[in-house]
Amino acid sequence: MHAGLACAPTMNILLIEDDLEMAQALIAGFGEQGYLVEHAADGEEGLRLASEQRHQVIVVDRMLPRLDGLTLVKRLRANSVMTPVIYLTTMSGIDDRVHGLEAGGDDYLVKPFAFVELLARVRVLARRPAAQETITRLRAGDLEMDLLQRTLTRGGREIELLPQEFRLLEYLMRNANRVVTRAMLLEKVWDIHFDPQTSVVESHISRLRARLNQGSDTDPIQTIRGTGYKLLA
Amino acid sequence: MFAALFLGLAGALIAVVYWIVEDTQTAALINVVDADISTINNGYREKGLEEAVEIVRQRLGSLDYSNVDLPGGYILLEDTTHGKLAGNLTSLQPQLGLISLPRPRREHEEHKEKEHRAGEHVDSAGEVKSYPHRRGVVLGKGVYLAEGVYLFVGRDTATIAAARSRILQAFAWLTGATIILAAVGGIVFSVQFLRRIDAIARTCNAIVAGRFNDRIPLRGSDDELDRLARAINTMLDRIAALLDNLRQVSSDVAHDLRTPLTHLRQRLENAHVKSHTMEDYSAAVSQAIADTDQLLAIFTALLRISQIEAGTRMAAFSEVSLSDLLNRIYEMYRPVAEDQGHVLAREVREGVKVRGDAELLTQLFVNVVENALRHTPVGTKIVIALDTSSDAATAKVCDNGPGIAPEDHEKVLRRFYRVATSRSTPGNGLGLALVAAIAKLHQARIELSDNAPGLCVSIVAAVIPRHPRLRGDDEGCHSSTTSSPTTAS
Repeated sequence: MHAGLACAPTMNILLIEDDLEMAQALIAGFGEQGYLVEHAADGEEGLRLASEQRHQVIVVDRMLPRLDGLTLVKRLRANSVMTPVIYLTTMSGIDDRVHGLEAGGDDYLVKPFAFVELLARVRVLARRPAAQETITRLRAGDLEMDLLQRTLTRGGREIELLPQEFRLLEYLMRNANRVVTRAMLLEKVWDIHFDPQTSVVESHISRLRARLNQGSDTDPIQTIRGTGYKLLA
Repeated sequence: MFAALFLGLAGALIAVVYWIVEDTQTAALINVVDADISTINNGYREKGLEEAVEIVRQRLGSLDYSNVDLPGGYILLEDTTHGKLAGNLTSLQPQLGLISLPRPRREHEEHKEKEHRAGEHVDSAGEVKSYPHRRGVVLGKGVYLAEGVYLFVGRDTATIAAARSRILQAFAWLTGATIILAAVGGIVFSVQFLRRIDAIARTCNAIVAGRFNDRIPLRGSDDELDRLARAINTMLDRIAALLDNLRQVSSDVAHDLRTPLTHLRQRLENAHVKSHTMEDYSAAVSQAIADTDQLLAIFTALLRISQIEAGTRMAAFSEVSLSDLLNRIYEMYRPVAEDQGHVLAREVREGVKVRGDAELLTQLFVNVVENALRHTPVGTKIVIALDTSSDAATAKVCDNGPGIAPEDHEKVLRRFYRVATSRSTPGNGLGLALVAAIAKLHQARIELSDNAPGLCVSIVAAVIPRHPRLRGDDEGCHSSTTSSPTTAS
């Protein structure tokens, strides 16, 4: 789990959570990763701290005393505070997720969750580059992807990919050297927001691996057991 | 109430009959009187007063009460200065036109009172007969045959009165009968009605008291109360089924949560007592986490089903390309199927659109496909098909595996129901229940059928007619189709 630590700069996270036990566990978890966590126990306090714009990521509970998470995020966005936001919630309804994202949130995680899931999502959010949409080429190790031509080469050798495999690899390359979880892949690549009972992600990863590694003896995709995958750059 | 109305109507009818009878009888009487007057007048004109007197006498002499022509006739011919010339009435103050007189007490009449009372027609001197015990009215006409010669011809109105009284009598009987019938019928009816209302009330009270299987007894007469009772019984059946379902679900929830909780507890206890090394602990903890996840999956699925059944998602329905959706699922699951030694194929018609919730529909078909993948042996072929008829889209997921017994087709759609053969395979028995809930939300029909061999799950939904404009080809690689907006700057 410490593999990514070396290249990750110290991160400042704002945690807005009224459940103190939960908050302590998260502060400890992020602390182990070397991240700084500022904690607010209610919505008003959270809004005040968030408005100072000193954080790379805001982790906010949907249900908070004094000011709920949804309104908090709406106010932040209205005040042009664009810090990435991830909601934590016990509300697992589809509407709840859609409303949360419409209010200006960037990601959504239903309680209870594995800490590694939150960690992976926070890392991905924190690193979101400013002008992502202008990127037309992605490079990771000896992999090179042309997003306009939709082609891929490995060490100069062209590799044919199916559309789904291309989307999968694109997401991995955009988040190279970061752990991406199965749930993140299901959401971003397949638009699946529930937990399938079969190994969809594993099957696709194994096919992608087979294509990438043909005639090569190194595997750029690292499996993080019980969590997900990491593309090594 | 209705009896009174009926009586009123009958009264009106009787009144009409009464007037008509009286009118015609009076008219007939006046005709006869007119005929007599003209006969006497003619005699007087032709042969003088003597003849007129003779005719009057003859006329009165021939009076016969069996003769309907002249029942109770009265004639008076008098000279205004010298008094009565002929007739059976005492002299009158001459009056002209239509007159009614009280019937005079005639000679001999007193002697005959008894016979009269007995109602017998007694011939007394051929001159005076009384119509049975009536003291009525004589109706007639007075005229002057000449200066000083006055003639009155009249008839006893007893017949009219008799007819009148018969009508009234009939009415009285009818009224009496109606009142009695109405009263008796009303009592019988209301007693029966109340008894049946009581039966309904008793049943309702029994149900309130917890005897949910009580039903209102039917008489089989198919009248209003029977129909009401049947409607209430049907409603009670439905409520009972819902209650059963609820009871079933809660006991299933309790049971299905108890099993993984028991495993979890056992594992933790074992770890607590028997683990000696970090590895032992670590293994026990990851197992415990897996157990917890299974529990959470059950919770999530149950919550989802009840959210879907609440129906609030319908507001967010939009046009969904079922063709694209099934093609995506096919692409998504083909590698999974291959890895498991299954064959996944598709026969998907392009351009089929339905109204719905894309995410829920995806979950529906994912669940059906995963169900087929999980419960069929290696080598099974699974086909995802989509076809349309005039107004319906039929999406099918068929396999040639062992199938499900027809009697279980309905049951597998219930929560927590698992056919005996599938209890060993993973799953929580909620997948198809979720499918059923989503289908119902979309007003789609779900059918399980025998694929001989294997199982076919069909979802039949209304299609949106194809738009004439061309669809853009969105088959390509649109990355990140999530609803998550990528934040700019």
